[in-house]
Amino acid sequence: MNTSTNILDIKNIEVTYDNVILALHDVSLKVPKGKVVALLGANGAGKSTTLKAVSTMLASERGKVTKGTIEYDGTSIEKQNPSQMVGLGMVQVLEGRRCFGHLTVEENIIAGAYSRKLSKGDINQELEKIYTYFIRLKERRKSQAAFTSGGEQQMIAVARAMMAKPKMLLLDEPTMGLAPQLVAEIFNIVKELNQKEGVSILLAEQNTNVALKNSDYGYIIETGRVMLDGTAQSLLSNDQVKELYLGISKKGRKNFRDVLKEESLTKKKIN
Amino acid sequence: MVDELLFFMEVLVGGLLAGTMYSLVALGFVLIFKASATFNFSQGAMVFFSVLAFVGFMQDFNIPFVLAFILAALLMVVVGLCTERFVLRPLMNASEDTVLMATIGLGYVLEGLAQAAWGVEVRRLDLGIGDFPVPWIADNLKLFISALDITAGVVAAIMIIGLFLLFKYTKIGLGLRAVADDAGAASSIGIPLKHIMLLVWSAAGVVALVAGCMWGARAGVQFALVDLALKALPVLIIGGFSSIPGAIIGGLIIGAVEKVLEVYIGPFFGGAIEGWAPYVLAIFFLLYRPEGLFGEKIIRRV
Repeated sequence: MNTSTNILDIKNIEVTYDNVILALHDVSLKVPKGKVVALLGANGAGKSTTLKAVSTMLASERGKVTKGTIEYDGTSIEKQNPSQMVGLGMVQVLEGRRCFGHLTVEENIIAGAYSRKLSKGDINQELEKIYTYFIRLKERRKSQAAFTSGGEQQMIAVARAMMAKPKMLLLDEPTMGLAPQLVAEIFNIVKELNQKEGVSILLAEQNTNVALKNSDYGYIIETGRVMLDGTAQSLLSNDQVKELYLGISKKGRKNFRDVLKEESLTKKKIN
Repeated sequence: MVDELLFFMEVLVGGLLAGTMYSLVALGFVLIFKASATFNFSQGAMVFFSVLAFVGFMQDFNIPFVLAFILAALLMVVVGLCTERFVLRPLMNASEDTVLMATIGLGYVLEGLAQAAWGVEVRRLDLGIGDFPVPWIADNLKLFISALDITAGVVAAIMIIGLFLLFKYTKIGLGLRAVADDAGAASSIGIPLKHIMLLVWSAAGVVALVAGCMWGARAGVQFALVDLALKALPVLIIGGFSSIPGAIIGGLIIGAVEKVLEVYIGPFFGGAIEGWAPYVLAIFFLLYRPEGLFGEKIIRRV
């Protein structure tokens, strides 16, 4: 057992929705303390479900972990609810940013500190610290969150989560629908938070290339199973990953149709 | 001419002040709608339940006025607590329609409990404020305005300012506004939904008690209070379901419009248009401005 080095340890979990829909078959993964781990895969592969299983947000969507165990910081999360998980230092940034649209940017961020007992002065101090990472948000602190840009909303969501002083962040597709420049900006901030604040991060991404370049380790899941895992470096240079997720192959660029064609050909050969 | 104008003013002011009573009832609906996006059909029953308990404490147990009021308010907090625990929590992931139906059921339970505990006869509630014109105003401004109406106006104003400050400047108020915007996101950052639910249901209960006192003092504490609360529906359609200022303004508009129409247009219909005129107004709003005057528009970035 090396639980002391892993902040999160998921062992063979199976998740069902509404008691019938099997979303995860068998997922195991580990997040070492202070590291960034990427969870990669296509739409519907089970990335979000895995994250929600960890943050215990599954229950509110009628989902349930039916097999396997999840250990966070050495204890099982089985009996916890989302607000208890936040209390234990685990915060999820939901897919699609989910800012409080009618609140101002600053109110959004302050709301993140709800679980902590802080005085007005403490909150202001924390705010200033958060703004050093999200300089752009400081300029827009008085705007209504609904009227900020997609990139800013993503920053609000991460900043809000950081106000809870998490030991671990779960980021669900933080770069969805953002321009490449903003993607880079978001990842820079995430990296910085990881290094300066020591937050461990598990991030779900479809943007394989950028995600791996900013992570230490990666897992690739498909239809609810971990297909491949390894250090970010090894995954980036893995031929299979290159072909299927990065669109690069030895023979030059290749599209998904060619891959499928090849696959069906090999299947025929086997048969 | 001057007499006519004075008479109109009298009707208008009387209507506006009576409207604050509608506002008070509507306020209870808004609180719950904000936090759970559910129209609370049991609000009328809460009005009846709370004020009947208040009167019951005073008349059956000879508890003094202030103490009885505090007891009734505490009772409403207990009702809020039980509602959260036994109705809302088990329905946490149910659809909004399911919760709506549950509030109808809750309404019947409250009505039944209230009548089982305190009996079915109409009770008189004496707040020590008469429902007759204030002499000072009658002498100086030549307007006949009821002292009870003025009291209701002042009480409504105090409640509204209090709630506004609570939502704008307290931590739990921020939590409530966050939950109102996105309950899922709120729980993801550790805002405990059950505390927020408990807060709004208790606050709605206390608001119901205050509204019940005002209505009860005028019309007697009786079962009809349950239906009176339905007048809040046009108020909310006009003001917007999620807006506290909307509930206030909507109430004032309904109060003023129904009195003015009753006096000036009523005779053409054989009177008693007060009962349905607000609903006609509400239909126009539904057609042309469905989010109401102050309802939060769904903000969408383009």
